[in-house]
Amino acid sequence: MKKIKKQSVRGLLEKWQKDFSVFVPSKASGSSQMAVWDGQDLAFLDRNRNTVVPPKANFLPNIEKMFGFRKEEDGYVLEPADEDAPRQLIFGIHPCDARAIAIIDMVFRDAYEDKYYLSRRQNTVLVGMACAAPYDNCFCTSLGFGPADATDVDIMLTDIGDSFVIEEITDRGKEAVAGAKDVVEATPADEKKAGEVKASARAMLSKEIDTDEIAKRLPAAFDDKSFWEEIAAKCVSCGICTFLCPTCYCFDINDEMLKDGSGARYRNWDCCSFAVYTRMPAENPREEKWRRVRQKVYHKYSFYPELFGIIGCTGCGRCIRQCPVNWDITETLNNLPAGSAARTEEKQKPS
Amino acid sequence: MTKELENKLREEVRNLLEKGKVDRVIGYGAGSLRFAATPLIISDKADVDRLIINPFIHNNLSVFLPDVSGKVAIVAKECDARSIISLVQNKQIPRENVYIIGVPCSGIIDLGKVEKLTGLDRDEIDDISWQGDKVTIASAGGAKEFTAQEVLADSCLGCDAGGFREFDLVIGEMKPVAADKELIRKRIKDMEAMSPAERWEFWKNEFSRCIRCYACRQICPVCFCDRCFVEETEPQWISPLPRWQDNLIFQAVRMMHVAGRCTDCGECERACPVNIPLGILTGKMEDIVEELFEYRAGMDKDAPPLMAAYQPEEAEDLIR
Amino acid sequence: MDSFEPKIVAFCCNWCSYAGADLAGTSRMQYPPNIRIIRVMCSGRVNPSFVLKALSVGADGVLVLGCHPGDCHYLTGNYRARRRMAIAKKFLEYMGVEPERIQVGWCSASEGSRFAELVGEVTDNLRQLSPNRMFND
Repeated sequence: MKKIKKQSVRGLLEKWQKDFSVFVPSKASGSSQMAVWDGQDLAFLDRNRNTVVPPKANFLPNIEKMFGFRKEEDGYVLEPADEDAPRQLIFGIHPCDARAIAIIDMVFRDAYEDKYYLSRRQNTVLVGMACAAPYDNCFCTSLGFGPADATDVDIMLTDIGDSFVIEEITDRGKEAVAGAKDVVEATPADEKKAGEVKASARAMLSKEIDTDEIAKRLPAAFDDKSFWEEIAAKCVSCGICTFLCPTCYCFDINDEMLKDGSGARYRNWDCCSFAVYTRMPAENPREEKWRRVRQKVYHKYSFYPELFGIIGCTGCGRCIRQCPVNWDITETLNNLPAGSAARTEEKQKPS
Repeated sequence: MTKELENKLREEVRNLLEKGKVDRVIGYGAGSLRFAATPLIISDKADVDRLIINPFIHNNLSVFLPDVSGKVAIVAKECDARSIISLVQNKQIPRENVYIIGVPCSGIIDLGKVEKLTGLDRDEIDDISWQGDKVTIASAGGAKEFTAQEVLADSCLGCDAGGFREFDLVIGEMKPVAADKELIRKRIKDMEAMSPAERWEFWKNEFSRCIRCYACRQICPVCFCDRCFVEETEPQWISPLPRWQDNLIFQAVRMMHVAGRCTDCGECERACPVNIPLGILTGKMEDIVEELFEYRAGMDKDAPPLMAAYQPEEAEDLIR
Repeated sequence: MDSFEPKIVAFCCNWCSYAGADLAGTSRMQYPPNIRIIRVMCSGRVNPSFVLKALSVGADGVLVLGCHPGDCHYLTGNYRARRRMAIAKKFLEYMGVEPERIQVGWCSASEGSRFAELVGEVTDNLRQLSPNRMFND
């Protein structure tokens, strides 16, 4: 392991700025999100918290131009959007958000090769920050990792007071640190301190879910209409929990045309909480709110495990913290009806 | 004090359910996070003891009324109660199906302001206690004292409660909020002092952050259209892409559509995850409506909705 | 500042102001060609979203014309339009739209000359401003 003094991090960021767009947790724009480092603000070094808007926005932007088109005499001509995404380095990403990117990989890299996503993904270095102060809404430890898990980042930093301990996880991470000034070998005392910081963060987590029990109960709970109606009652069907979810990736595609027949195709975030999301000419399979709430829970805790063998939730708790009515997914998951009581009302309908 | 109120509320609600006067009750329960309150919809009197009252019950529960069937009792602060009447005026709910339980409100504590003032996350705060005009915030770093005005929600600083007469029952004694209208008017006055170009630039900047989650619309009790203009495709009023232009048009049109129904309850601004100061718009809209038409939404259930009525002579100075 | 020729979208009600525009035309009255008329059945039909849509696609100004108070073909449509447009005007001004860009007026079917005058005035007003670049990036 290596380490760097906090006052030297500015130099490191400046070095990275030569090769990358450096993103850091920032509130400068008025909302909390990953933003291009202004070269000044270093508040995030001492107080690093999850941003409200998750770093998925750096991979799946809310407005993505897919291609342009224009009308010629013998048909349409396509004009590809930017070939290669710019190289970016995301500084201070928490393990939960890094895990979320790894989860999105399964959809946009493994199940289908999405060139827009991949080009950003391949040009990104993730500099993780071990989470030192999890929020009350966090439950990452219930999902098989923890606030200091370094699996999904290229470099992991741990705050030990006046310095950061640096773990180089991937080759890309090693390369990014190589030749950096002021990066020195960590002493055993530093490593011990880092271990303590990580353990204390882990101990701060109080929220829990039991994923084995959830997996057992979910299949039968699907048809329990009254359960879902009750838990959905206070949901107002806004898009906060999905838009701010680091693993939610649903999108809508729209063409925008000018009068002369030219235009462009865009992709933007969409959300299963909206009734229009599934509206079709004949009917809407999820017109009722409880079906939409159920969909959200099942997508993360049932369909994801079936398709990819992993739960599509990292326990970051944004959906709980930012929810305007404090709808808490862990309460739902911890109170799923047990087994046989499920109603059969749903069975006739294909879903 | 709040314990007494809670007990009184629970007693009254139990009574209502036992006597079959209402089928359901919409109130507040304890949330899953520190200081959080959450909407609680109950029909079983066994759940009555889950009802709470405290200075964190910010939700305007009237948003749930059109979807809850049967006779419904609802716990309401005065600002929220105006939204209920606004719904009645607009024929979204029948007055006789709603039993409005007024709770005394001295204002809602804005956790965002608390976080900003203390430099702490709400998770690091152990206790927030409110005595008289002082709010004490205790954390591992010791206790800090603030005036109520410093931590109250903006919508509460502009509170003009007192004139509402439609409560079916009031728990305890209504007392005024420690409002500071000058402070809250300042946001609007500062805006008015700018040139049109500066104002437009201001809103352009604010709406460039909007992610179009529609929380402002969904949390709004008086945004009750079955189909919102933003989702229409033929013609398409705005693009689904969250560009600032489209975000701004969405919000401006939404505000004009709820004029005369909006009571400036502040929920849209509180719900916004990217901190767009929508209260500067709702507050101004309430002013405009009052100034032009001497109208206040949700005060009189028998008054026609603002947009469904007219006076033969009004606002002519704005017309050529 | 160089003066420019503003583009104006006018929403005219079918029964009075559109007929007024017709009369202005058949009477061969002169008025600026800056105006593009959209006929609506009643000024009460004009949703504030129409105004913003017109401005967002490049109109320099919007003119909403209806029957004089008391003369509405549907009896009260223009009264409702008056409330709506008064609010829209005040509110959009507060958001930063110059007040000259949103104009409301009454014009009857027999007032061809008034129609021509109104269009002239509004056009002159707008020429004092700069072109609408509010919605440009």
